[in-house]
Amino acid sequence: MITSVNGAFARRFFSSVAAASLAAVSTVSAPAPALATEELNALVWCDHTDPALVEPFEKANDVKVNLKDYEGTGAALSILEQSQPGDWDVLVIDGVDVQRAVGLDLLAEIPADKLPTADIFPEVRMEANNMKDGKTYAVTEKFGYNTISYDKTKVDPNDMKDLSVIWSDKYKGRIALYDYYLPMIGLVALGLGKKTAELSDADMPAITEKLSEMKTVSKQVSDVVSSQTALATGEVDILVGGGEWITAALSGEKPNLDWTVPDQGAVRWAQSIGVMKASKKQDLALKFVQYIVSPEGQARLATSSCYWAMPANMKAGEHLTDAQKAALRWNDQTEYLKKTQLYPIPSAELDQKMQDAWTDMMQQ
Amino acid sequence: MRDMLTKIAAFGYAGLIYGFIFLPVAVLVLFSFQDGRLPVPPFNGFSLQWYEAVFADRKLMAALANSFLVAIVSSVIACLLGFLAAYALARYKLPGSALQRGLLIAPMTVSYLIIALGLLTVLNTFGISLSLWTVGIGHVVINLPLCFAIIYSSMGDHHINIERAARDLGANDFKVMALVTAPMLMPSILAAFFLSVTFSWDEFIIAFLLSRFDVTLPVEIWSLLRSGLNPKTNAIGSLVFLVSVALLAVLELTLFGKTKKS
Amino acid sequence: MSTITLEDAERRKAWGFVAPALLWTIAFFVVPFLFMAAMSLWSRQSGQIVRAWNLDNYIAFFAKDSLFKGLMNSLEITLIVTVLSVLLAYPLAWIIAERVPKRFQRLALIMAVLPFWTSYVVRSYSWLLVLSKNGVINQTLMTLGVVAEPLEIASNRTATVIGFVHFFVMLLTLTIYANLIQLSPNYRRAAADLGANALQTFWHVILPLTLPGIMTGAFLTFVLCIGDYVTPQILGGNNELVLPQIIMLQLGRRADFPMAAALSIILMLAVTLAYVLCARWLKIERA
Repeated sequence: MITSVNGAFARRFFSSVAAASLAAVSTVSAPAPALATEELNALVWCDHTDPALVEPFEKANDVKVNLKDYEGTGAALSILEQSQPGDWDVLVIDGVDVQRAVGLDLLAEIPADKLPTADIFPEVRMEANNMKDGKTYAVTEKFGYNTISYDKTKVDPNDMKDLSVIWSDKYKGRIALYDYYLPMIGLVALGLGKKTAELSDADMPAITEKLSEMKTVSKQVSDVVSSQTALATGEVDILVGGGEWITAALSGEKPNLDWTVPDQGAVRWAQSIGVMKASKKQDLALKFVQYIVSPEGQARLATSSCYWAMPANMKAGEHLTDAQKAALRWNDQTEYLKKTQLYPIPSAELDQKMQDAWTDMMQQ
Repeated sequence: MRDMLTKIAAFGYAGLIYGFIFLPVAVLVLFSFQDGRLPVPPFNGFSLQWYEAVFADRKLMAALANSFLVAIVSSVIACLLGFLAAYALARYKLPGSALQRGLLIAPMTVSYLIIALGLLTVLNTFGISLSLWTVGIGHVVINLPLCFAIIYSSMGDHHINIERAARDLGANDFKVMALVTAPMLMPSILAAFFLSVTFSWDEFIIAFLLSRFDVTLPVEIWSLLRSGLNPKTNAIGSLVFLVSVALLAVLELTLFGKTKKS
Repeated sequence: MSTITLEDAERRKAWGFVAPALLWTIAFFVVPFLFMAAMSLWSRQSGQIVRAWNLDNYIAFFAKDSLFKGLMNSLEITLIVTVLSVLLAYPLAWIIAERVPKRFQRLALIMAVLPFWTSYVVRSYSWLLVLSKNGVINQTLMTLGVVAEPLEIASNRTATVIGFVHFFVMLLTLTIYANLIQLSPNYRRAAADLGANALQTFWHVILPLTLPGIMTGAFLTFVLCIGDYVTPQILGGNNELVLPQIIMLQLGRRADFPMAAALSIILMLAVTLAYVLCARWLKIERA
């Protein structure tokens, strides 16, 4: 059945490809790093894959850190399920899902005296999440907000102070929705005057209805880069679910992009890092965790290439420039922390319902 | 007059379609030279900074090398297996040969996503870790049918006499295959090889689902894009494109210019 | 000893040649497929895969609108893309084969598929920029005064279809051209001798002769299009989901392998159906 692409033509034609790739590879001039004696495998969020963050640790400890990034705790669990025990040494996970990982017996206990707990913003220490039965299993490393990002030259910033703008007709067709169901459902709940921590089955009908209204007035539902593209190109003027992690890195280029926390509040996300229980390199893994939460590591993590967001360690401020701090809104954090709530933490059944509601909304 | 009109219509149409085909490439290349952090209009001015960034990106360069390795190794295996199978099925009467042909072609009628998921399930079950090898296995699965079909369809019966003559002169099977059959079929074998390389080089979903730390170029570009807009992705896309075009031109003018009549 | 005849030895050798390819296909294609089919009958409950055999996943597929609609979206988009691509590529292939002077044909063809060598993923993002409100197309149309308001062609089905058609026009131009140049000019001469005009010749002679090539290309388009995740994910703006996107959601958000497996089997049935419909035009022939 391939006769049609056969023959002399195809031969001549496709021969170029190998040659092209050959040339491409010959341009691989970057020197390979010297062979390290040890390797550390970390399952992380994409901000950890920035060489500027990891290389100093690799050099200092003569170790090669293998990084695999994922999106969403579901994806991480499915990767872990596909792995053998001991394959992974370090895990970065959504702060609200640490208990899930502890429940699955994935994380090792971290001695309290090994962590700079006193330097971490009290609001994001999240003992209820990172600890169980008085034992620490993970530590918060970075946090930020899922709220409203917008183009201040195209919308009235005062409208952005009311969360109900996300389902109102006023900006119909000019809104993008960030494609992650948990914070988005959290935002809807806040808009409805509910607390994210108290969501239950009974709240779903009202939430589903609002999701549907949101979809009707929105232009698209998209991942990070499509959302960013849409906002930067003027395709949309509002991004629901966005925040500093969308706009901070663009602040120099696109000063017209802004974000705010509405009066009803917004959703706060936090990522935690911990050592895998099955890891055969507990000491080295802990060393990596300590590096990440150290002031230097925190400053690099906060401004890593994938996305910017607030470091959990207050002392990171000493290693950040004023411009970086301004982009992160370092000085507004007290107010934001007060006004925001954590992601919802649904049971497995409610989680399924939330995902279904989200999928139904996209298919609507 | 009528001829003139059809000619204008024909070339007008061709022009439009060529425009359509080149539109995204032109935009891609243009914004790879963007002087600024965003590869979106307006165009701020000409800069080579993103090309420098590409060469300085160790992960991107490693992915480039990985892609090359996977493409070449998987294509060689696919061609070799495809050639042997085609030889056996074209030269010998084997029972159930129609069924065998059907089986070898079958993966071509299945979406890559399904092939990837199936392999992932099996690798999981047997506790095999994901690596570039597993990506390579997947790429052989998708390219083997292609190689087999191309080589098999070019195995004419008129080649048999030459092979028989060689055998009469005392050559064994492997010698016949290596020294007589393969050279006669070289055009199709090369076609199959380069087609495989192209497909493997640009394949995303299998590489995405079956790799772990070492990833291929499309997967690296995917994660690069996840972190937001960046003219670096335009630069790597343009770079691969421009180098291919340059090589294509060189090959056209030298190697294949001479064998045009073949 | 005498039981081994020459024929047996030959046959054994032949099996030896074909075995590696067959084994590879069985080990890495047939077996995985069977595993997946088996897994589609399991289910995932409270984060664990339960190995109880049932049809729950398939029932859920038909019961949940959002899942079933995924298949419908996939089929609609794939059919639109396939038909559009053939309609756009055929004339181009014909022009190259018939109107372009022989010595420029190869150049014309190479030009038609050149963008193949930009990365597929990057090219899709490039379309996003081309189609956006301030993109090249809208800017041009508005400058020319063709439209007053920017067209809504990004982040929706139109964008997905454009992205796909772009790729498949290149592929189909190649396959249809290869088919057209194999036609002997005698056919056309004979038809003209019998008094057929250009249109009749095309309709009754050339089109039927190139149909196998078209169907091969169309089937290839169908298979690649319906299984693709990248293009709808980047260009569709999640305003509707196609089946591969839903499959990836099962994997990425729920680690629900059984459901993903069931949906994959359904996707495969759709392709099989298409294959049955085009089967009579698809075959490998030896030269």
